[in-house]
Amino acid sequence: MSAGLMIDLTVDGKKVSVPAGTSVFDAARLNNIEIPTLCHQQNEKPIGVCRVCVVDVGARVFTASCVRPAEQGMVVSTNSEKVKQARRTLVELLMTDHVSPCARERQSGDCELEALAKQDNLARSRFAPQATRRGVDDSSMSIGVDFDACILCDRCIRGCDEIRENFVLGRMGKGETTRIAFDNNLPMGESSCVSCGECMVSCPTGALTNKVINQTAIAAPGSEPVSLQELNELPFFEGVSGTFLSLNRNAVVRRRFKRGDVICREGEYGSTAFYILDGEARVSIASPIAHVKTKGAVKRFLGKLSSRLTQRQNDVRDDETGQHWIHIDAPMDLSYENPVATLKAGDLFGEMTCMSLYPRSATVRAESDCTVLELLRNVLDIMQRNKNFRAQLDRSYRQRALDSHLRAVPIFAGLTDEFIEGLREKVELLRFSPGQVICRQGDHADSFFLVRIGFVKVSQTHLGGDMVLAYLSRGDYFGETGLLKGDVRTATCSALDHVEVVRISAADFAEMNRQFPEVRHQLELVDRERTQMNRERLTALSSTPLDSFLKQGLMEAQSLLLLDLDSCTRCDACVRACADAHDGVTRLVREGLRFDHYLVATSCRQCLDPLCMVGCPVGSIRRRNSLEVIIEDWCIGCGLCADNCPYGNINMHPFDVFADVPGSPGQKKAMVKQKATSCDLCSEFAEPSCVYACPHDAAHRVNPRQFFAGLLQQSSDKSPKD
Amino acid sequence: MRIDATHRKWLIASLIILGVSTFVYIAYAASSPAGPSGGSATGLTFGIVGFAFMIFAGLLAGRKKVAIWRLGRAQTWLRGHLWLGLLSLPMIFFHAGFQFGGVLTRVLMILLITVVASGLFGAALQHYMPRMMTSEVPMETIFEQIDHVRDQLVTEADALVDGVCGATQTEQVALSGGGAIALATPAPAAVLPLRDFYTRQLRPFLLHDHRRHQTLAARADSARLFEGLRTVLPSDAHDATRKLEEICEEERQLRRQVRMHHWQHGWLLLHVPLSLALLLLGCVHAIMALRY
Repeated sequence: MSAGLMIDLTVDGKKVSVPAGTSVFDAARLNNIEIPTLCHQQNEKPIGVCRVCVVDVGARVFTASCVRPAEQGMVVSTNSEKVKQARRTLVELLMTDHVSPCARERQSGDCELEALAKQDNLARSRFAPQATRRGVDDSSMSIGVDFDACILCDRCIRGCDEIRENFVLGRMGKGETTRIAFDNNLPMGESSCVSCGECMVSCPTGALTNKVINQTAIAAPGSEPVSLQELNELPFFEGVSGTFLSLNRNAVVRRRFKRGDVICREGEYGSTAFYILDGEARVSIASPIAHVKTKGAVKRFLGKLSSRLTQRQNDVRDDETGQHWIHIDAPMDLSYENPVATLKAGDLFGEMTCMSLYPRSATVRAESDCTVLELLRNVLDIMQRNKNFRAQLDRSYRQRALDSHLRAVPIFAGLTDEFIEGLREKVELLRFSPGQVICRQGDHADSFFLVRIGFVKVSQTHLGGDMVLAYLSRGDYFGETGLLKGDVRTATCSALDHVEVVRISAADFAEMNRQFPEVRHQLELVDRERTQMNRERLTALSSTPLDSFLKQGLMEAQSLLLLDLDSCTRCDACVRACADAHDGVTRLVREGLRFDHYLVATSCRQCLDPLCMVGCPVGSIRRRNSLEVIIEDWCIGCGLCADNCPYGNINMHPFDVFADVPGSPGQKKAMVKQKATSCDLCSEFAEPSCVYACPHDAAHRVNPRQFFAGLLQQSSDKSPKD
Repeated sequence: MRIDATHRKWLIASLIILGVSTFVYIAYAASSPAGPSGGSATGLTFGIVGFAFMIFAGLLAGRKKVAIWRLGRAQTWLRGHLWLGLLSLPMIFFHAGFQFGGVLTRVLMILLITVVASGLFGAALQHYMPRMMTSEVPMETIFEQIDHVRDQLVTEADALVDGVCGATQTEQVALSGGGAIALATPAPAAVLPLRDFYTRQLRPFLLHDHRRHQTLAARADSARLFEGLRTVLPSDAHDATRKLEEICEEERQLRRQVRMHHWQHGWLLLHVPLSLALLLLGCVHAIMALRY
């Protein structure tokens, strides 16, 4: 464009003069003549794909004014009947590609396409709508994507590339299946999108919309709204899109707590995270760390006496004495002996509750007067995508939490300070969205992972399908098998919810093993145990064909309590024995489904795929190295495991405690709390008490596949004839 | 407990004990000019062994109270209870030389025979009834919860009938002389037979009203009644009728479970107190015999 050179043209009969190189669209706009458009925005490069801005310049065909440079002496008509008719047809055609009313039209009534359609009285298009639906993408916390509302104007792509330079968006597909795509066609929530919101504000329709947060604003007592300007000034929000913050201003509030006030309470459900701006807070587990017991009723005296005489360890099990840390939803873990820690300014807590809606894992109380920001999950999500915030979190983790996190894993307890110091700058914090694969079976093993937040599913692919090997939570680790063998991954690990892992590279892992032979030895032992267990599971899985066996979920069980109904006199000796063995609280109910002439009693089945473990906010339900699933004494009674158990085999048992009075620091009153209980197989004894106490030889704890092997074999022999 | 092949060892051991005891008794009886006597060394030995068997059998109750003490598996104790308890009868007969003696010993003998007989009856019941219960009461529930399940069945049946016939509503009608009475709003004519059947027969049956003759207690009669009911009801009420029939069947099964449960455990009301009396009187007899 030659600077200063002006050209003259006529637009709708009006003589105008514009600099050379100006588009016809801009020439009209500069002279207050409005030309409708969809794909064109002033801050983006024009590409003329929607053609709605067609004008008649006296050429053979109409032209898109946004890309047509103005020429000397050009006579432009923007609203002749022919032009209007052409534009009307174009809008009508675009409407066939667009669900109406779209989300934006429904939310705020300002879909640009639908506004044009209304202007032209095009309530309904004459053309048949697109036969193939392109679907929606709901994976992002903050932005909803409706591909059926997209008219492929590319405004979002240009916003992402030209304005923000994030280069996440592009197009994929051909013909009518063409659509916008994130990265290499990933769901938006799993892509490298930083949720800056530029695409959303660029979109003329409801294809990219802000998930409405204003209606779910935080309504906690004493919460103060934070203005956009204040948010922008906080270092915490540095680099976050102002557009996004503006759209979500109700999703962040400031709360002030006086010393002793409770910020959040363990076991409660919530949907927010907290970031401490100033002051300190004490995080602790208020539930007594103990087994549940019955009240001291006289009639249970003998049962209690039985428990004592048989020398059951009522409050501290052997396993628990070796467990030194309780994993919580905060930057640190709590010591088993004294489950209390301090959170300081700059700490973020409640991430798992906020992102995955798990119950609060601990009680947080203001240690001094403090100010916190309470965030809804769309804001937390965008913060976690923000490079500055990630860097801040990473720094805080490396400095404050890496040591305790590593040392909370018994195998790494012996690592020296020097080694951890060396590791501090090398580890990497990685974040994964639900369903995202962290490492895939068959890939080259190049790192070792420690779970920091969330739950990881470990599965193996075999002929006939996938087999879940384990669910890992905070404090667990994976990836050692491939590294120790210098080989490929033997299983696929994927995020069940919002997961953060600490990645240690193969080189650092090798160095650790070289410096600490004991760690290597322990890792090899664990590897052998895991491999053996997986092999057994696979063998078991491949030998059970019976449909009803599968339907009752018996296939999933490792140990069933079966009552032989042909022998059982329904005397309930098993139930009483269970109660006697567990301080009066029975863990079995003599009720359940029948298989052959056996009753599958309501008692923990020690499932191969223990769904009950997923989501425990404090990791108190876990599997021992042997098969039994146990619930540790630091259970906070949220009930998630009981809800998750598909067989109703986990019960919540109420018990009396003295707890803090809300709003009255220092005061305590008698309250009823709950703890989860399930069968622990009476692991202190050679045989479960229920089986031992059955006088009729009717109760059996069995491996269902072995116990029913004969029956299953008969059934599979018969089935071809049937 | 089922008496099956797993009892073979106990059976053989019991037969050996019985055989040896019989042999000893015959030899002892033949060699005693005055005939066998409980006071002789052999007779006393039989008495001690028999009473020891009885005491062991009696300890089962105590063993059950401390179910989780590792004192041997409960089923081993029950087997011992059955076989040694049974053996105590011939032992005591050998002890007494098949004589009933004075008042106390006569009472003791009668008690022992009754206890062993009631025990055998109980063992037979516990051998057969679990299988019967399994096959005849597939809808079995926990005995203590039967009343609760029944309440649920009534609630469910009420809801089903209200769903078809409409909830029974009352309407206040003013009387000419002042005051008012409540009149029930009638159900649609086509489904009146269902409401009538439910009110007159099914609900009282579910509520366990023994004052009325209950045709529904018999499965065949019940099936006939429901079949007849279906012929007069519109087809859209058939599904509810089928569910009511299922509820009726569940109630019948619960009744059967209660009856069987009482049979299965009722004999203990005789067996346990008599056993206790037998042991107490046995102690009295032993002290008196040894002292005097």
